[in-house]
Amino acid sequence: MTALRNHYAAAAALAAVLVCLLAWGGNPYVMSITIAALMTGGVALAWALLGNLGGMVSFGHAAFVGTGAYVSALCTLRLGAPVPAGILLGALGAALSATVMLPALRLRGPYFALAILAYAHIFRIVATEWTSVTRGAAGLAGIPALPVLPGLPPRASACLLAALLVLAFALAYRAIRRSHAGLALRAMHDSEDATRVLGVNSTLLKGAMLLVSAAMAGAVGAFNAHYIGFLEPDYAFGAMWVTLPIVAAIFGGYRTLAGPVIGSLAVSLADQLLFKEWLPVGHQFLLGVLLVAMILASPDGLLPLAVRALRRPRKDGGHA
Amino acid sequence: MAELLLQALYSGVLQGGSYALIALGLALVFGAMKVINLAHGELVLMAAYVAYTAESMLGWHPLAAVILALPATCLAAAAMHWTVSRIRADREINSLLLTFGFSVVLANGFLLLWRADVHSTASAWLQDALVLGPLYSMHSEALSFVISLALLAAVWWWLAHSWQGRALRAVAANRDAAMLMGIPPARTELLSFLLAGALAAFAGVALYCYGVIQPAYGGALTVKAFIITVLAGLGSIPGVLAAAILLGVCEALTVTLASSALQELTGMVLFLLVLFVLPNGLFGAARRRA
Repeated sequence: MTALRNHYAAAAALAAVLVCLLAWGGNPYVMSITIAALMTGGVALAWALLGNLGGMVSFGHAAFVGTGAYVSALCTLRLGAPVPAGILLGALGAALSATVMLPALRLRGPYFALAILAYAHIFRIVATEWTSVTRGAAGLAGIPALPVLPGLPPRASACLLAALLVLAFALAYRAIRRSHAGLALRAMHDSEDATRVLGVNSTLLKGAMLLVSAAMAGAVGAFNAHYIGFLEPDYAFGAMWVTLPIVAAIFGGYRTLAGPVIGSLAVSLADQLLFKEWLPVGHQFLLGVLLVAMILASPDGLLPLAVRALRRPRKDGGHA
Repeated sequence: MAELLLQALYSGVLQGGSYALIALGLALVFGAMKVINLAHGELVLMAAYVAYTAESMLGWHPLAAVILALPATCLAAAAMHWTVSRIRADREINSLLLTFGFSVVLANGFLLLWRADVHSTASAWLQDALVLGPLYSMHSEALSFVISLALLAAVWWWLAHSWQGRALRAVAANRDAAMLMGIPPARTELLSFLLAGALAAFAGVALYCYGVIQPAYGGALTVKAFIITVLAGLGSIPGVLAAAILLGVCEALTVTLASSALQELTGMVLFLLVLFVLPNGLFGAARRRA
């Protein structure tokens, strides 16, 4: 039932993107903020997959975004790989880089969250210091651009590709959740010990979720690298790759499939269009306020709140 | 070379003393509430910015700004306690996200109020050299080390001998049993937050006296404090001091022997090493965290 509703919600989100594309496809500003919102949505989905299915809070997804970006950029720049192959390699590279984090899986709660953060710091320092490969703080320029779909302006084409990427993530997420592994992961959420007794290798499953989540974030990073065309460690591994997706996923509801995507579109667009207008410096202040307010008012996000409000009409006027 | 190493050791020990003060606040809240306050570094930074404002706008000596910093950080800590204690479901995950939200709010609040500029004290005496035989430091470094030690000793004594301190340890050890003994856990948890805020006030003013501050620095402070907490294991103030000095010395040696760009790397590697090899910390009692 929920899966079906989520399915419709994902389709609705894609339809909304298509409508935007048709209406404002020629407007580069609208396109660029929509693309940024979709990137956030991709990372938010990856984060929510690890949080919801794996039961782990990560503050280190910037590591995967950055690794994916650098792997793809270097493969296309130095080895001459085509851009789509580069993005795939970026996703694989991010998953591969996540294997060094597998030992952290035996940690729980805050220990895991901060161990992942430590890894992200290490990754950023390595990217900055390993100048012979990454060119360090000077950055990589001239990264090959994304292929342009025929008949569309470049930004509109990138926007459609980003939407398709996010849709692919959502479908993969749904497939995992419906599989046996998804069932076992949901059971682990209630009691990990009981699930282990039934013969489920919970560490293996959590590890798989970490790798899938890393690959998704890596693909977004790679896509973004080719879209922007320039990379430097402080940007590719920047904290905003963590803050914005977390706020967005919590805002939408990180235990649902559509929540992170809808949340990302809402939060990211609000951040760009409103918050930046009000507070040109430090506009993330309002993101922090939003996160605190959400955790206090409705930690499961707005989507479940809205669903509840719709189920009980007239109780609180459908306001969500 | 030997002189350089000796100097690095000395600087590391002094730095470690200051780290210990930051880490103790984090560890107290973690012990009492099992909550990692991801905004703890920002609390410290808040006190540092109060000191900066007091010095630059009111013309105060930065050390005197502790009087202003104390109410500010304690108020912020109380607000954090109030919100954290309102979390009902999934406390472990939601308290992390909540305090992460606070850290974003505070870091960007600093950016709004004080911009991204880097600040340090203008007081000449604080920056003057203090020569101890072959060893050099700034007055401020030695002073903040001494203040740190005094505060650590005071908190140690308080935890061991006062009724409230015992109550705090009791709640940390077993909340339900403490409740049965007539200890109000909510008040004790608030106390742990207030104490963390007070320690952050001193640590922040000290940080402003011996170092440079900028809005984004809070996250690094929180991570350092957590590294120290993990190294120390829970429940031992001498352990916190030893772990903080270990971190400070490792960082100083990295800067001397390798490069300052790798300073942060040392702490992280030390942290992961201890998490995986010695899950109970270097000095902690046996306790499961995996």
